[in-house]
Amino acid sequence: MITDVLMFWFLALVVLGSGLAVILFTNPVYSALSLVMAMVGVAAVFVTLGAYFIAGVQLIVYAGAVMVLFVMVLMLFDLKRETHSFAAGKISGALKLISVGLFAGLVVGGIVMSQGYFVKENEKSLGAASATQSVNTVAGSQTNLNVVNTDNTKVLGTVLFSKHVFGFEALGVLLTVIAVGTVALARSKGGTHAKH
Amino acid sequence: MDHSLLMAILLLSPLVGFLINGIRYKNPTANLSGGIATAAVAISFISSLILVADLIGMPAEARKIHVSFFQWMAVDSFKINAAFYIDQISAIMILVITGVGSLIHLFSIGYMHHDKGVTKYFAYLNLFVFNMLILVLGDSLLTMFVGWEGVGLCSYLLIGFWFSDKEKAAAGMKAFITNRVGDAAFLLGMFVLFATFGTLNIQEMNALAPTTAEASWLGAITLGTLFLFIGATGKSAQIPLYVWLPDAMAGPTPVSALIHAATMVTAGVYMIVRLNPLFIVAPNTMMVIAIIGALTAVFAASIGITQWDIKKVLAYSTVSQLGYMFLAVGVGAFGAGMFHLMTHAFFKALMFLGSGSVIHAMHEEQDIRKMGGLKKYMPITHMTFFFGWVAIIGIPPFAGFFSKDEILWMSFHSPLGSPALWVLGAIGAAMTAFYMTRLMCLTFWGKSRVPKSVHPHESPTLMTIPLIVLGILSVVGGWVGIPEVIGHSLGDIPNLLEHWLHPVIKPIPNLTEAEHSMEWMLMGVSVSLATISAFIAYHFYVKSPETPEKIANSIKPLYNLISKKYLVDELYFGTIINPLINGSKRLWMFIDVNFIDKITYVISDLVRGGGGVVRALQTGNLQQYAMLIGIGIVIALSIIIMR
Amino acid sequence: MQSTNFLTEVGLNHYLILSALLFVTGMTGVLLKRNIIVMLMSIELMLNAVNISFVAFSKYLNNVDGQIMVFFVMTIAAAEAAVGLAIAVTIFKRFKEINIKFFEHLRG
Repeated sequence: MITDVLMFWFLALVVLGSGLAVILFTNPVYSALSLVMAMVGVAAVFVTLGAYFIAGVQLIVYAGAVMVLFVMVLMLFDLKRETHSFAAGKISGALKLISVGLFAGLVVGGIVMSQGYFVKENEKSLGAASATQSVNTVAGSQTNLNVVNTDNTKVLGTVLFSKHVFGFEALGVLLTVIAVGTVALARSKGGTHAKH
Repeated sequence: MDHSLLMAILLLSPLVGFLINGIRYKNPTANLSGGIATAAVAISFISSLILVADLIGMPAEARKIHVSFFQWMAVDSFKINAAFYIDQISAIMILVITGVGSLIHLFSIGYMHHDKGVTKYFAYLNLFVFNMLILVLGDSLLTMFVGWEGVGLCSYLLIGFWFSDKEKAAAGMKAFITNRVGDAAFLLGMFVLFATFGTLNIQEMNALAPTTAEASWLGAITLGTLFLFIGATGKSAQIPLYVWLPDAMAGPTPVSALIHAATMVTAGVYMIVRLNPLFIVAPNTMMVIAIIGALTAVFAASIGITQWDIKKVLAYSTVSQLGYMFLAVGVGAFGAGMFHLMTHAFFKALMFLGSGSVIHAMHEEQDIRKMGGLKKYMPITHMTFFFGWVAIIGIPPFAGFFSKDEILWMSFHSPLGSPALWVLGAIGAAMTAFYMTRLMCLTFWGKSRVPKSVHPHESPTLMTIPLIVLGILSVVGGWVGIPEVIGHSLGDIPNLLEHWLHPVIKPIPNLTEAEHSMEWMLMGVSVSLATISAFIAYHFYVKSPETPEKIANSIKPLYNLISKKYLVDELYFGTIINPLINGSKRLWMFIDVNFIDKITYVISDLVRGGGGVVRALQTGNLQQYAMLIGIGIVIALSIIIMR
Repeated sequence: MQSTNFLTEVGLNHYLILSALLFVTGMTGVLLKRNIIVMLMSIELMLNAVNISFVAFSKYLNNVDGQIMVFFVMTIAAAEAAVGLAIAVTIFKRFKEINIKFFEHLRG
């Protein structure tokens, strides 16, 4: 159990650190590498949450495909280290930072104030007898609320292809459209600003 | 066939014709456009013949074909259906409209053959027929009003058909605006009647009409019917709103025949006849109608004597004859009014078409001083015009005699009439005979005054056929209403029209038994008056053409006054129109420029200024937009959490 | 109670706060960075942050629907990255520049 806790703090540090690195590096290639780091960290977080399949997909799709895309585009542009990496304007910059900070404060405050509200609601609706037990702990919820085994890939697949099959098919259509649209965009000669 | 289907064909066939010709309005082929338009009206005529035949097959008291297509509007208890009904009165009207209408359409093919806008012309003409049928058949005053406005619009469009001529365009506007005055009164009349009866349905109102006469001038029915009558004076060109009709002769001549002689201008008479149970209980309204009618008959006839334009003469004649119709309905002789409406439609359409034929032959010349002796060039036109002439001046046994004589007799005999009205009517009849004979003499008889450059010729067959048909109708048209006194002495010939209309016409209260000797005597007086004045006119204009000029010179002030149409136009301009225009100009220069324009400028400046302020937000900077979204989320979240 | 156990007892709130902080990091990137590609990367960060909270909820509520949602989000994120990069390529071809400050054609 202590390994779980240590693991969480370690991963949180990695994810947030590499996330910050993405925006703090002025060279976009370094940013991309930090993003890979963050992606891998998030995949590890998924593993600690028992979502093995999602973790795998995260690695393949993000750390693999999407990042390759980013890096390739960066290479295509052949970018050097930028001189004006951050937006100018002291007032707007300050405003942006303030709004971001306020946003973070509000969300975190909201989460802390909610005190596991969602989980409690869920327990009530399930009618579990263990409502009095601490629901904030990993162990407590794992042992007592074993209603659906969320770390079972088979369950995930069953639900995906039965309850959510329409959304799944819609995603297929979306990806086809995106593939065609991307090719069309990349081939175009400057969109509406084209000089013929 | 099903009645609703027939009714739909009757109504929609001209509309379809209008749509077809309206879509291809630039097409210059007269034969095709005219063929479509004529066929459309002819189909209407056939279906109305079938409908009327069905009507005749019904028992006399139950003759009614009522078709309701859909509910047009429903406001609380006020419900109007798009419903139409044919009874004995509207049966006559639809036959006249579609029958005479198809003849005039046929005539137009020849008359408008060289005009570039011929397809547009036929489209308008068909639209007119459609609206006229709605007016005639509508089962409520509101439905009737739709047609009433529609025919006004078509009349405006057709009077101003050659709108590139400013004078003609102005004539169209004059007609439209004068009609608007009447239409406003018509609306007021509808309001009053609706407030009284709670319905605008004609049959319901007729059924609800009280049985006793309303003596007060301010009674609801008297007021409502008076307003309706003012509406009728606009549409049917009576004093004081007759001024537009003579100017309306600016339109093509077949239009004058169809709209401004045979059908539209009789709408006012028809409306009164259709509402006769209401009008008969308002004796004050009836008195006003009779007096206005008689005055108009004499007044317009006197102007007609002095006119030199062939169509103007006929126009004033139309106003005068419409006056007779109003005189008839004013003394309660609704049947006689309808009878004269019908015969007048025949012979006046005939004369207008005849004048069209003459104008066509004379290369657009309308001045009768430049005509004369046309008899030998245009025998068919002359012969048919001759029939029209004897019909209008009331020579037995032609159509006009029976209807006009019945009107004159009723104006004398009816308790609502008086000898004075008869005297006015008889004077009008004598004047009618005079100016029509004058027209005949100056146009067709006597020495030719045709300029050397013009070579008159008979019109093509397409134009003479309608003339011949209408000529025959002008002869026999009156035989359906032979008065009892003549029919009796000729061996019991029934008065078909009176029997036909009897179930839907309220009898005149307190009508005494007619004295036959009196009737014979008055008939003799009016016929001999007409004959004498016709002979005088013949003598003046054929035998000694210098006499009328001498007489005109000896009474120069009066003659000038009459030939300038009693200066009524000038009076209207001086007292109403010009002050109105000047006042409007002053309002425009003061109120509009100083206040209304300023207000709109201020508002537009405010909007522009506000836009300028808000525009600064649209920097085009993507990240700033994102920041604004972020701030919005922060505000929303803090509201949610702090709550 | 919360303060004593905060370090040792990891629960749903921990994951949610991690998610929130990662989201805010991404948001800062979108707001402040000028390189379009780095902005797109920041958007990916934000989407990942949301994914973390989905998976965490899925686990603590014992509801597999959360993971399905992550699956959908990932697909859409990949699609969005593809389109975004295609737009970036187009812009670069047109202006030889990918700095956002040169693209203010929507200025009112």
